[in-house]
Parts: sequence; C-alpha cells; structure tokens
Amino acid sequence: MPERFSDAMRKLHFGLFIYPGGHHLAGWRHPSVAPKEILGFDYYKRAAATAERGLFDLYFVGDILAAREREGRIVAEGALNNIDSISIDSAIAAATQHIGVVATLSTTYNKPYAIAERFASLDHISGGRAGWNIITTANDDAALNFSRKTHMEKRLRYQRAKEFVDVCKGLWDSWADDALVGDRTGGCFADARKIRPLNHVGEFFSVKNPLTLPRPPQGWPVLVQAGGSQAGIDFAASTAEVVFTAQTKLAEALTFRESVESRMPEHGRDPARLRVLPGLMPIIGDTEKSALRKEEELNELLHPAVGVWMLSEQLKFRLYDFPADAELPTADIRASGNDFTPRVISLLDKADAENLSIRECGRMIAASRSHGSIVGTPEQIVDHIVSWFEAGAADGFNIMPPHFPSELDIFVDEVIPILQSRGLFRTAYEGTTLRDHLDLARPVRS
Amino acid sequence: MNKNNKMRLCLFWFPPGSHPGGWRMSDAFAASESTFDVYLEVARLAEAAKIDAIFFADAAAVQPVDLIAKGDPKAGLVHRGAASLEPMSLLPALAAATKRIGLIATATTTYNEPYHIARRFATIDQISGGRGGWNLVTSQTEAEAQNFGHDNHMEHDARYERAEEFFDVVAGLWDSWASGAFIYDKTTAQCFDPTKVRILNHSGKHFKVRGPLNVLRSPQGRPIVVQAGASGPGKALAARVADCVFTAQSKLADGKAFHDEVKSRAVEFGRRPDQIKIMPGIVPIIGRTDEEARELRSALLSNITDDQAMRSMYRVAGGLDLRQFPLDGPFPELPLSNGAQGRQKLLIEMAQRENLTLIQAGRRFAEGQAHHIVCGSSKTIADLMQTWFEQGACDGFALMPSYFPRGVRDIAESLVPELQRRGLFRTEYEGQTLRDNLGLMQPKSQFDA
Repeated sequence: MPERFSDAMRKLHFGLFIYPGGHHLAGWRHPSVAPKEILGFDYYKRAAATAERGLFDLYFVGDILAAREREGRIVAEGALNNIDSISIDSAIAAATQHIGVVATLSTTYNKPYAIAERFASLDHISGGRAGWNIITTANDDAALNFSRKTHMEKRLRYQRAKEFVDVCKGLWDSWADDALVGDRTGGCFADARKIRPLNHVGEFFSVKNPLTLPRPPQGWPVLVQAGGSQAGIDFAASTAEVVFTAQTKLAEALTFRESVESRMPEHGRDPARLRVLPGLMPIIGDTEKSALRKEEELNELLHPAVGVWMLSEQLKFRLYDFPADAELPTADIRASGNDFTPRVISLLDKADAENLSIRECGRMIAASRSHGSIVGTPEQIVDHIVSWFEAGAADGFNIMPPHFPSELDIFVDEVIPILQSRGLFRTAYEGTTLRDHLDLARPVRS
Repeated sequence: MNKNNKMRLCLFWFPPGSHPGGWRMSDAFAASESTFDVYLEVARLAEAAKIDAIFFADAAAVQPVDLIAKGDPKAGLVHRGAASLEPMSLLPALAAATKRIGLIATATTTYNEPYHIARRFATIDQISGGRGGWNLVTSQTEAEAQNFGHDNHMEHDARYERAEEFFDVVAGLWDSWASGAFIYDKTTAQCFDPTKVRILNHSGKHFKVRGPLNVLRSPQGRPIVVQAGASGPGKALAARVADCVFTAQSKLADGKAFHDEVKSRAVEFGRRPDQIKIMPGIVPIIGRTDEEARELRSALLSNITDDQAMRSMYRVAGGLDLRQFPLDGPFPELPLSNGAQGRQKLLIEMAQRENLTLIQAGRRFAEGQAHHIVCGSSKTIADLMQTWFEQGACDGFALMPSYFPRGVRDIAESLVPELQRRGLFRTEYEGQTLRDNLGLMQPKSQFDA
C-alpha cells in the first residue's frame, strides 16, 4: 500500500450524487417522499444546500439521453424527467457558495467546441467550482434520438473520447491566464498575442479557432471519469483526476485502484494526483435493527417489473418474458457475447453460486443500482467509510442517498460530525475552487 | 389599435454592450468584472423594470480569427463575442437568482442536435418555472464552421432547410408528454400515465429521432421561440414558427412593411397575427436632456478605435485598400461593391451628406453595425417608440444598451417610467410565465385533439 494513504493529514472527500427520486429505485414510493416535489428545481436546490452544509466537495449530476420507456412499461423513474446536467449545475452554482458542481456529458453525442464552451462557462459562473464527468454513454437508446442507426462501438467511443478531451484542453488553454486585458485607455480589450488558434485536425474532429472565453478559473474543470471496463480504466489512467466507480468489495476496489494507478505513469501522470470516489448508498438507523428494517421496507416497495427491467438493461439480455421465479439464465447471458463490466460479471458469478432467481437478482441490482451500499448505525457507516479510506480503496465516496431529502439529512447530521471529530473530514471549506477542495493542482497552460 | 395593448420590451445583451466603443467608458463594467455577478446585476435591474425578457446573442467563435491567428495585437481591439458566457449555460444560473423575468438564449440549428436543444430549453423552462425562450439561429460565419469540423459555412438555403426540420423535431419532442402525465402513484408504483406519452418517431431528410423527450411538458406549454432572420427563408421560418421576431429596422416605413409582411405570412400559415410579436432592435443612448445624450454619443463614438472603424468598412470598400488614404483626409471614391451594395450606398451617402473624413465615416459606420441608434432624453426616445408602436410598425422593442450597467440603469430609471406614465408599458408582470407576459396563448398539444 502506498505510503500516502497512511498520511495523518489525509482527509476524506465526499460527493453528493443527486438523482431524481433517489438512488433506491423504489425510493420515491417511501412514505416520507412527496413525489411531485421531485419535478421542481427546489428538489435539486435543497439537496445542494444540505450537501454544502455538510461541507461536501462536490455535487454530482448524471445525464441520460433517452427516456428509456418500453412500450408503456417505463420503469426507470430517474431517466424520465432527467433534466440537462450542466443546466442543473449552473443553477446550483448560483444558489450555493462553495460546493463543487460536477456535470456528466457524453463525448459520443456532443461536439468538443460546444462542450468546452459550456464547461468554461460553468467554471466562470461558479468561480472555479466546475467538474466534468466524462462518459461515452453506455445505453443504446440514445443513438435513436441522435439520427444514428446504432450506438458507436466501445473501442471507438473511447478513442473518440480521448481526442474529444484533448481538443477541449487545447481550447481551454487557447487563452493565456492574463489574455483578457480590458485596457480602456489604450483600447485593448484582449491581448491577441496571448490567444492562439487550436488548428486541431484529428481522426474524429477538426477544430480551428480559439475558444470564445478566457481561460477558466481552474484552468480546466476537474476531469472525472466513471467507466469500469478495460477501456474505461485505460481512459481513467490517461485522463481522470477523479474516478467515480461502482465497487462493492474492499479487495476488488483495491485491485481496481491499482489497475488505474499502475497505468498512470505511462501517460506521464502521478498516481498521487488521483482521487477515487466509489458510489455508496447509506441506509442509516438509530440501531442496526432499525436500519435493516428501513432497508427491508424499501426493498418491499420495489415493483418486481422494475428489477427485471434493470436487470435486462445491465445484462443486455431481454428477461421480460421469463417467469420471475425462474433461475437467472446465466449460461445464455454469458453466451450472448456482450462485453460485460466487472460488476455484471460478479453478479453472474453470485447468481450461479447461489442459484438466484430473476426476481432475486432484479431486486439486488435495483436496490442499489449495483453500487455499494451500507446499512447500519451512524457509527457503523463511519467504520465502513474509514476502513475503505485507510486501506486506500477510496479517498472518499460519492454518496447516493436512497431517497431525498431525509436520508441525506441524516448522513449530514449524524455521520459527518463523527468523521469531523476523528479529524478525517474538514470542518470548514478552506479554499474556493473544486481543485482546492480535492487538493488537485491547477493545470499549467501548455 | 387596441388602447389596452402594451408594448413588449426585451433587453438584448451581447457582452460587453451593443456600442463598439461602450466598454471603454469609465463607468462601464471592467473586463475583469466579466463574471457572473455582472450578469446577475443586469438581470435584476431589468427585472425590477418589469422587462419581458433578457436576451443573449451567441456565436460559437471569437472574432476576428484572421488577426488572432497571426497574433496581431490589433485583434484585441475588437471585442464583440469575446469573453461572453455561453447563453444556454448562463440562463439556468440567472433563473435560480430571479423570479419573473423571461430568459432567452441563442442556439444554432446548424451545429446542434435537436434532442439536445429540446432537452436544454425544456430544462431551462423547468428550472425557471416557464420563463425560457430559444432564439433560433442558423449561424453566419465561417469561423464557427471551422470550429465544428467544416471548412466552409453551410450554404444559406440548406441551413434554413435544416432549420425548418430541426424546429419540427424540437417542437415534436416538447410535445412528448401531456401535462399531468407524471402521476407518481405510490400504490400502483406507476410513475407516469402511459396514455400520456407519445413516441415521436421522426424520420426526415436531416434527422431521425425516436423520442420521447426525457423531460416533462413545459410549464408554458413550450418555451418561446424567437427568430431574427431577415432573408426570404428566414422570414418564412419566422412566420411559421416564431413567437417573437427580432429585426434590424431604422426607418418607420421599412419597419411597418416588415411587420405587415411577416404578420400576413403568419396568417397564411393559419396563425393569428397577434400571436407573433415583432420587435425591432434599438440602441437607446439616454441622457437627462437631448444635449446630454448627444454628448454621451460623441464620447462613445470617440472610443471606437481607428482599427475598429477602418475594419468596419473593408467589406463594403469594393476591393479598394482603404489603408492607403490618410485617416483625417476626405472620404475617397469607392468602386462599386460586389456584395453588400445597399450598405455601401448608405456609407457613401452619409459621408457626402455630413462631409465626413475617412475615419469619421468609419466610426459612424462601425457604430451603425449595431442597430437603430436612438439618442435623446427618455421623452424623445419614448416619442419615437410610441410612434412606431401606434403606427403598427411593431409590438415592442429589443432594447440594446450601448454598454453596461449604465445602459440598463438608464432604461430602468428613466425610459421605462416614461413609457409607464404614457400607459404604454406594464407596471406589474401580468403572469407567471414568459408566454403569459408576452400575451401569447399556450400552443395546442397533440393530446388536446
């Protein structure tokens, strides 16, 4: 284990992953939730204010480019009213002071000039609090909304993503930090010698001129990545400053981190400059028993069709017409030849080992959207967080409350203070930018 | 004309201001202040004045690219379009910090995808509670094309053909859900009513889009659509789809002709003429007296750099290199221009009529690249606006302050009160949404039939 993980000064980092309805797919059905409130901006704003009260590093917004309905059987509430991520963050930036704002945007269905402009704008609007979760879009539905017959194949998607991000970096660097002069007397608005065209011609893009905006306050927004496949890991090693990852077991999380870090030096990068934030759904009770009851209550609210749908999506295998109590047809699924993520493979292994039914697997995957979850008292949650943190499997977590607002309130009011009293989490924001919060260096203009 | 009819006013902002010399004024926002706080201050001033909407232009390129590419210091003298926040990203932040004012952003149909545009404006509408608007443009410059993988700009008619289909896809996506489709029935676990969603399944020449949109129906039915094209295809698109039309008109008779033409074309598309609002742009230069306003205008004019002034004339110089003439010498004779002949004629006539030197003519021409400049006390300016409005040349105006924050402060503190005294402008917002305030009806939904 690298020495840096036992540094007594090392602090935890937290993200809040906001999601319409909550991260438990039945979260919106919980008695404490007023579902209509999910549809207004106040829902997002309130969660951001709570996260900022809890001194979280960042507010994290996903992005989905299709409603994912299935012949009236639409069951993914989060994908339904899934409003534009960077727009949410822009509004949240205006409504908050300190917290970082991370937006997810796809490199497969966007153009680099427009995205560079949008993130530069968000960084200026927020005074240096922007981050970009770079995705290549995993679901095929989006292709049908973007005049494409099929979704781009994974290897190509990541090649495109690499070039896409290179173009964006070049555009953010097209203005020197001191190019905007604003000399009223001399009549010089900007110093053209400090603005340069990009003149990029590559395999996927050609982009000629400089960006419309001065260099962002952070140089570049913080670059976040979330794909767990081999191609995703390579991309993270070359590009990501923060990795958001789905990990359920400590040993696997360590292996994952090692696999990213070991490839960083070949890209000229220092592994100490990587922050790994696994997703974590905490279900918190006053006693372990009450927490377990809370979990059971949520799982009972899960409609069986939701689990089957979720499972079909993850496995890329239609399970709608199978009896729900049949065993998961793992042999057929493996034979389909799809390129599965590690989290899907571990689900198939578990189904084989325990002869799980489709219903059981569906419930399992839908309950936490296959991210890690921890059920217990605030102290037990703290123990879990600290064990991953001290082992180096995580630098913190992207917190995924099962529903809003009550479960986030509990985390902020009951878990955060314990971590603070142990000296593991900040008691005030020290810096002003997201890079400050994450202790990441501002990139020098190339 | 209906006596109860009120003007609609939009505030137009192309940072740092509509007058090329504006940013150099000592009370203008400093370049280093081009942060969100500046935008917020302007939006709040406009909201306090009950302005219908604040409107942001956009071009996805910084100009002039030829000089920037050479690292020519003179490039830094031209400011338009540089250092302005991308409007679709800016609006949600302004929405979070305001309550009533409409928020309109420019987005091009040439370099975007309809699903993104439908979703982003539906998002702005949701965050703002129904105050969003989309200014549909097709982009004009090669510099933008070069930023999106093209050597040349798409040809004019092809751009509009794409824009027509683009709009239809966006409007269809906005119509994906009936209002009240999201029921969130906890008992049955149904989060929406499946009879209240329609799959678009659009398949056309330029786009193939399945839908539905993953954002629910807009609080105002759908966001407001603004159009500003002056060409034949531009006017045809406006007549068919626009809720508001922005236009550059400086003569009453021309303004009236444009207004009547667009409205009669709208009627041919089966629309009611009062459901399309024509708003010519004016740059109001306001003083306490006419004399003070004239002084302000001279100060603005003298702030236009020699390079800005000269460059503004190159395009209409008919191939003549103007740099060979002394700046303070007489205005030279120009060979007939290939392109913009109308604009060349305006320049020559102005130089002769007022006996201007080369550089004086250049400054005036650079200034007029903006829109109709109206200079005077608030009373003088209100007179002109009243005449245009009562003569049926417009439904309101796009106010384009010469610089900020003074331009918007003068509007809020003197021009708007003058219009209110005359009963020409609201003293309170009438409704909650931009559509309500503009006096526009909710569009029919496919679910209404």
